[in-house]
This record gives sequence, structure tokens and C-alpha cells, in this order.
Amino acid sequence: MRSSKDFFCCAGLAFALFAYLALLLGAEEEWSIAAYVLLGVVVVVALVALDVFSTIERLVQSNERTCQALMVLGTLGIIAVFRTDHYTLFLLGTIFIYSVAVLGINVQLGYAGVINFSGASFFGIGGYTAAVFLQHTPTPPLVTLVLGGIFSAVVGSVLLFPVLRTSGHYSALVTMAFALLLKVFLEVSEWLGGPQGLALPPFKFLGINFAEDLVLFGNEYSFYVKYDLVCLLLLVMTFMFVQRIERSWLGLAMDAVRIDETAAACFGISIKRWKITAFTIGNFVIGVAGALYSMMLSYINPSNFTFSDSLLFLSILLLGGIGSIWGVIAATAFMVVIPEKFQVIQEYRYLIYSAMVLAMIVFRPSGLLPRKPRTYIAGGLL
Amino acid sequence: MKFGGLTALNKLDLDINEGDILGLVGPNGSGKTTFFNVVTGIYRPTDGQVVFDGWDITGFSPQAVFEAGISRTFQRSRLCLELSIFDNIMLGNFKTHNLGILGNIFRRKAFHKTCAEEIEKAVELIRLLNPALVGSIHRPVADLSMIDRRRIEICRALIGKPRLLFLDEPSAGMTHDETNQLMDEILAMKSDERRLTIVLIEHEMGIIGKVTTRCAVLNFGEKLCDGTYQSIVENPLVQEAYLGQEVTEDEV
Repeated sequence: MRSSKDFFCCAGLAFALFAYLALLLGAEEEWSIAAYVLLGVVVVVALVALDVFSTIERLVQSNERTCQALMVLGTLGIIAVFRTDHYTLFLLGTIFIYSVAVLGINVQLGYAGVINFSGASFFGIGGYTAAVFLQHTPTPPLVTLVLGGIFSAVVGSVLLFPVLRTSGHYSALVTMAFALLLKVFLEVSEWLGGPQGLALPPFKFLGINFAEDLVLFGNEYSFYVKYDLVCLLLLVMTFMFVQRIERSWLGLAMDAVRIDETAAACFGISIKRWKITAFTIGNFVIGVAGALYSMMLSYINPSNFTFSDSLLFLSILLLGGIGSIWGVIAATAFMVVIPEKFQVIQEYRYLIYSAMVLAMIVFRPSGLLPRKPRTYIAGGLL
Repeated sequence: MKFGGLTALNKLDLDINEGDILGLVGPNGSGKTTFFNVVTGIYRPTDGQVVFDGWDITGFSPQAVFEAGISRTFQRSRLCLELSIFDNIMLGNFKTHNLGILGNIFRRKAFHKTCAEEIEKAVELIRLLNPALVGSIHRPVADLSMIDRRRIEICRALIGKPRLLFLDEPSAGMTHDETNQLMDEILAMKSDERRLTIVLIEHEMGIIGKVTTRCAVLNFGEKLCDGTYQSIVENPLVQEAYLGQEVTEDEV
């Protein structure tokens, strides 16, 4: 925080952003949604054209902690506005969880350059782990979240050997093959419910049942408010975790491995070690997200974790900007909300995703909010 | 060292003394860079031995060679262009950051402390080469001119305090004046670090004469000769390799 003027600027911007998002999320007719989207695009283009955008970027960068707090506050505000709207709250929860999963992919591909075409599989492994533990053992749900992450990381380590032995296209193919294998395995496995999948009991913590509507001062709110708060908490924790990875020697080592393996090796940096670290951390994060998501859905089946979901994770990362944490969150929100809001395009969603990714690669290869040069300490140049 | 049927280095027998600046000269394709790559572990030699300070380091991985105290720069700059100056220099010092994976993430105070120390070290080193860069160590290397990139590459190779430094044609892509300037800087730095041994690949003979204490000439992967600059310049074998055989009157 530099000055109170900066603070009010940041607060005003955050308010404008969240007011806009609230309007967009609340809009129901397609023409009004289209108008809001158009308005958003026009404003952003105008800001970029008038060079105001770079001023805003600098402002945000030098007041980083304040802006992060404002973003959380604004999100809580959105949850409060839609406190009785099951559907919108469910969308918000989905955005938070998908963001967490894509941040996991970001550690793998964005930092260490390990391509993972089976992101949705690890998401699913987390979910199935939670389902099995909750059905067969009295494990507390919070612990099963961690177990989901651990199982996902352990299964991922089986893939490490072929992924490290191969490089480039070949390791991409290895992860694709794994995604197909896992899907078939889940479909034929009686114990895991086959194509019908498994049902999950709701998330419980401190005696609070997350599937019951929230009652505060005699008013009833959607139970999704509780899930959204947990998902948001997970997103905030993942955000901090991933940002700290980036702003430490870990991030530096992973970047070096991604950019130039030979140079990294000549300065004593072990290529394998950092690829393994990034892949495992990423799968852990994805697994935790998957476990929470399956609890929120209260069921899990193989069709939730298809190859196209893995592609969706990767396209979100490309769209937001590879390596950019805020970019991932913004792009997830976009990719989740737009198809849901425009029901007409629902069946063309993958067509539109693909077109957007192509347009992105051609016109703005570094993504919507490109990654900034590394700073090691928040707020300053350092 | 053989690549398939091609012999890139053959019976090269080269001794380097501690504290020397050895110039490595030879026409294109004579095996200078291959020699660097064999010693630094990028290529595994098909035959022969690399001994460093009494240790046999033949076939070591690049990482192990670096840990033994050998550092290098590359002929075609291999900086990470999108990373900052500070980040690039830090790569050369990576092994000293002993916080562990969890320490890096959860012990942020300790991390910030090491980070501040490292910045100080990096700034000290940059000040030797180009004081103008001190203020912009968090800018991406991609913004820099060729000579500054070379300087950063040299800083990266030096910050880990190597005992043997390989400089692979540091003058490539620079003007004559810039090259001279860079060489002066390298010499100034060398006078601070007397025990540092440098092997320098360079095409420009003037610079070899000015900077090095000893030279070796390679041709087709074999050593033609070595000795002082004077002795190699006067050597007829070297003149032949560089200028071609003199045409005798009979042939005309």
C-alpha cells in the first residue's frame, strides 16, 4: 500500500469489475448477456487503446497485497449477492475448482514445461479416491481431500518414467494414452461403479453438513454458499502456494529447465529432479481439486473426466497466459460462464473453445493476462 | 570424440595450468567447441580421459562437472531471454540455495533473506562489468544489447566461483571495439581472481595475443601446436592451416 489515493483507485476498479461480473452473472435473457459481453470487450479494448490499461497494471503491481484482498472481498460480495441462487453459486464453485486444477497444470506446463494431456484423469483420480474413502471408511472429508491429492500424485509417479524418458510430442502422447487407459479402466471396474460411477456423501467439517441449506438469522440460503466458501478458500491457498513456487528458487529452476535444458544442466540444475517435482506438485493440486469437486457434485462417473476436459484445462491455460496465475483465473471464469450463459452455443462449445485458442495463438500468444517478469517479494520490484 | 563416422577430436592432448589464460584457436570446425562440450559433460567422449585437478571427470554429467568447479559460456548465447538479469545470474549459483522445496515455499522470511544476499552478490559482480546495469537487474535479458548479454553470461558463469572457466567465443556478434572492451573487463576481473583458470576460444588473433598467456591451435580435431602467442604465430603449420599452403613457383 503506497498511499490512500492508490487504495481508492484499486477499490474503485475492483468495485467496477465485480459490479460488472454481478450484472453478467445475473443476466438471464440472451440479448442482455450478449450486450454485457460486448460492453466488457469494448471497455477492455478502449482501455488498452488509450494506454490506460498499462497504468492500471502498474497500479495493481505496486499495490499487490491490497488488490489480492480486494479480489477476495469482491468474490465474497458476489457470493452474497447470489446467496439464494443455486445455479449461479454452482457456477462460481466450478470456476474456483477449475482454477485450482488449471493452476496445477500451470506448475507442470507453465513452469517446468512438462506437458500433461491427462489433467482431467488426475482430477478424476482425486474424485474417485474421495468417493472410495468416504464410502468404505470413516475418514473425515477434509482428510480425503488431501488423500485425493496424494493418490493423484502417486498414480502420476507411475507415468513419470515414460514421461521423463521421452520428450516433446512423445511425452504428450504418453499422457494421452494414460488418459484413455484410465477412462476404460474406470468404465469396466465393477468396484468403482463402472459407467454409473459412485455416489458421495456431502462434505462435512466441524459438524456442518455442506449439503443442507444455510440458515442464518432465520433466513435460508443455498447450501452452495458453503461449498463456494470452501472452494474459494482452496483457491486462495492454491494461489498463494503456486505464487510462492514461482517467487522462489523453485520457480527459477523450473523456468530454466523449461527454457533451456542444456544450459540448466551446465549450471548444475538437475532436469529430472525439477520435472518430477513440478509434475508431482501439479498432480497433487489437481487431485485435491477433483476430490472437492466430486463432493460438491455428490456423485462421480467416468464421463466427468474425458479427454476433452483435459483439453479444456490446457486451453484455459493457453487463453489466460501460460504461467500467469491471474490469467488462469480470468480465463477459467470466461470458459465456464460463457457457454453456460449462452445455452444456444452449448453444443458448439468445443468449436468455440478451439476457435478462441487458435485466435489467441495467432493474435496474442502470451495470453489474456501475460505472465510478468518474476518478482521475488510482493509489491515491489524485488 | 567421434560422431558416427566423423572424428571431431582426435588424440587431442592438452594441459592447462592453474591460473593460466589459455587461448584456443583454430579454423571453423576444428573441434574447439566440441572440446568444451566434452569437458563439460554435454558429450561423452568415445575414448580418452579428462582430468581436472587430479580427478578423473571423464563421462561426468554436466551437473557433476559444474560441481567440480568448471563453468562456461556458450558460443551462441544461451541466456534465458524471458527471465530477468538477476534470474539468469542466479542460475549460475543455484546450488548454494539450500532451503529445500518446503523451505522455499513456507519459510518466506529465510527465503527473502537469502534473496537479498544474492542480489547483493549479483550487483557486486555486475558492477565489475557494467555499472549501468545495476539499476535494472529485474528487467528481462531480452531487452539487452549483445555485449550486455555477454556480460551477463560471464556473470552467470562466475557467480558460482568456478576454478576453471570456459569462454566460447565471447566476441561473436560484437564489434571490434566492444570486443576489446569486454576483454579488458575480463582481464580486470582476472586480476582479482588470480587462481581462476580461463580457456578462451577466439578467432581474432590480435585479441589472443593481448589476453592469453598460452595458446593451442587445433585443426581437424588435432592439436597442431601449443606455446606462447609468438611461437604459434611463427609456426609454419599454423600459417598453413589458416592461410592455406603457399603456392610454390613450380606449380605456377
